[in-house]
Amino acid sequence: MLLLLAQEAVALAVPAGAGGPVDAGLGRGLLQQAAQAALHFFNFRAGSPSALRVLASVQEGRAWVNPEKGCKVELVFSTERYNPQKGEEHLGKCSAQVFFKNQKPRPAINVTCTRLTEKKKRQQEDYLLYKQMKQLKNPLDVVSIPDSHGHIDPSLRPMWDLAFLGSSYVMWEKTTQFSRYNLAQLSSVKQWKTHEGAIDFDYTVLLHEFSTQEIIPCRIHLVWYPGKPLKVKYICQELQTPEGSGTEEGSAVAPAQLSNF
Amino acid sequence: MRWLLLVATLIGSSICGREKFLGDQVFRINVRNGDEISKLSWLVNSDNFKLNVWKSPSTFGRPVDVLVPSVSVQSVKSFLASQGLEYSVTIEDLQALLDNEDEEMQQNEGQERSGSDFNYGAYHSLEAIYHEMDSIATDFPDLASRVKIGCSFEKRPMYVLKIASDYQKDPALTSILEKMDIFLLPVANPDGYVYTQTHNRMWRKTRSFNPGSPCVGTDPNRNWNASFAGQGTSANPCSEVYHGPHANSEVEVKSVVDFIQNHGNFKCFIDLHSYSQLLMYPYGYTVKKARDADELDEVAQRAAKALASVSGTEYQVGPTCTTVYPASGSSIDWAYDNGIKYAFTFELRDTGHYGFLLPANQIIPTAEETWLGLKTIMEHVRDHLY
Repeated sequence: MLLLLAQEAVALAVPAGAGGPVDAGLGRGLLQQAAQAALHFFNFRAGSPSALRVLASVQEGRAWVNPEKGCKVELVFSTERYNPQKGEEHLGKCSAQVFFKNQKPRPAINVTCTRLTEKKKRQQEDYLLYKQMKQLKNPLDVVSIPDSHGHIDPSLRPMWDLAFLGSSYVMWEKTTQFSRYNLAQLSSVKQWKTHEGAIDFDYTVLLHEFSTQEIIPCRIHLVWYPGKPLKVKYICQELQTPEGSGTEEGSAVAPAQLSNF
Repeated sequence: MRWLLLVATLIGSSICGREKFLGDQVFRINVRNGDEISKLSWLVNSDNFKLNVWKSPSTFGRPVDVLVPSVSVQSVKSFLASQGLEYSVTIEDLQALLDNEDEEMQQNEGQERSGSDFNYGAYHSLEAIYHEMDSIATDFPDLASRVKIGCSFEKRPMYVLKIASDYQKDPALTSILEKMDIFLLPVANPDGYVYTQTHNRMWRKTRSFNPGSPCVGTDPNRNWNASFAGQGTSANPCSEVYHGPHANSEVEVKSVVDFIQNHGNFKCFIDLHSYSQLLMYPYGYTVKKARDADELDEVAQRAAKALASVSGTEYQVGPTCTTVYPASGSSIDWAYDNGIKYAFTFELRDTGHYGFLLPANQIIPTAEETWLGLKTIMEHVRDHLY
């Protein structure tokens, strides 16, 4: 006789364009969480600092919770360009499956987005960014982007976009069902050089985690060349506990361009 | 900026009758020797080109700035090229530059309250904010007064602006103020605010000492007496959501609690935070639905709609616990459980792009839209006094 373990499924459906009734214990929060994780992952995989996307709104979603295994979320959400261009209304649409392993970070993600910018145009814009970055004179004395009042010097914007791209990888890896990250600030640049044509960028960012409200410094080292897979290494400083502070690290090389981009 | 003002006066004094400088350019010409100086002098003194020297050299090797009217630009360029004179165009269109400056000054003008020079479109020090509160109370003694409700841990005053009547300019506000007074506490954590400007821009908590710990501060929004030390808080003084040694341990929190309880007749409590674009109501400490949740939700939905009508900024609405995360010891939960039915939290702009570092040019747009949301809530309270 087969003993089937019932998968406790709490299904939460959010109809498009409205706030539907919310199930106890879950809520829009989980869908936002999943959308954010999917986007961090998408941005990292696309590897394109000129084509970064941010969340506009979650349109529909369903979640299944298994107290032992974790939480699976299926959702559809709309996105905007991270760098809004004047007059451009590019609202993209993505559908994703996000699986949060019980309490563990690095959710498994499957995400497809409507083709927003033609590949050729994207490559051109990336190459333009690359050239602008190579012109940067001595960015090593750069401190705090944005500054305390939210200002980013236009000449430093490409550097910020590249920092965000590297941070996307870190933020995806650290995301769990309960923790969500935003990039708060680029706090210092340790090294900025070209190596065999590629940009070699060693920097520190402050990540903001939502449920604990912690500000986490992460040292990130990336190597980027337009069209080539992004290489990232990082080490983050965790909360000071009575037992002592810890660090978390990871590294990756993004796989080559996938056909769904 | 000052350089441009100087430019404007120079132009004003030296070129009479010229009002528009459309397409006029400023050339910076290098003169390396006496020969080049005489060539340049010839050019400048020649009537044909109508040039105007802004800055003449006192020694060789220093450049000369010359204003070239648009009609002469091409011929001057040819002349300089033919004579081998080195130059660069430092201003390509003087009128455009002046227009820009005008716009900025107008913008700043619009951002100041008439009678003061406090720019509402910029960030300010604590002193400047307190000074402006005092100015408002001094300029409008019948309408507003500044009230001290207590002190921070580091002994900074905590000031509230009491608005008790208005100057009849806004009918909705007038009708609200006929029934109720509005108390505005712009800085609920003065020590933390100052610390973000002097030491660490990301500082969240108060600045009180935690005996036995190297870490400073308590999260003032986990320190209220509403399921104190419950879910969504930490007992670790190094945590950003450390709840403190006991409820109301933070003088900043206790001052507000005492003020509200001594008054005894508050009907509405609104707490403004950043960021995330959310409008929330109790509870944070439990998923259990508040008794008035349906009504609060309805009001909040209307407020969010009014807010969005200004610039399209979208807010999400819901109870704290499921909209963001469980959070115990929060201000609105305490207010609600102590008889203040209309208790809301706003998380203002944006949703993470700039996050805590919202650019100053968004201050006034944020204020304008948020005001509509606040007004919606206050109108509802006015019509449903209990």
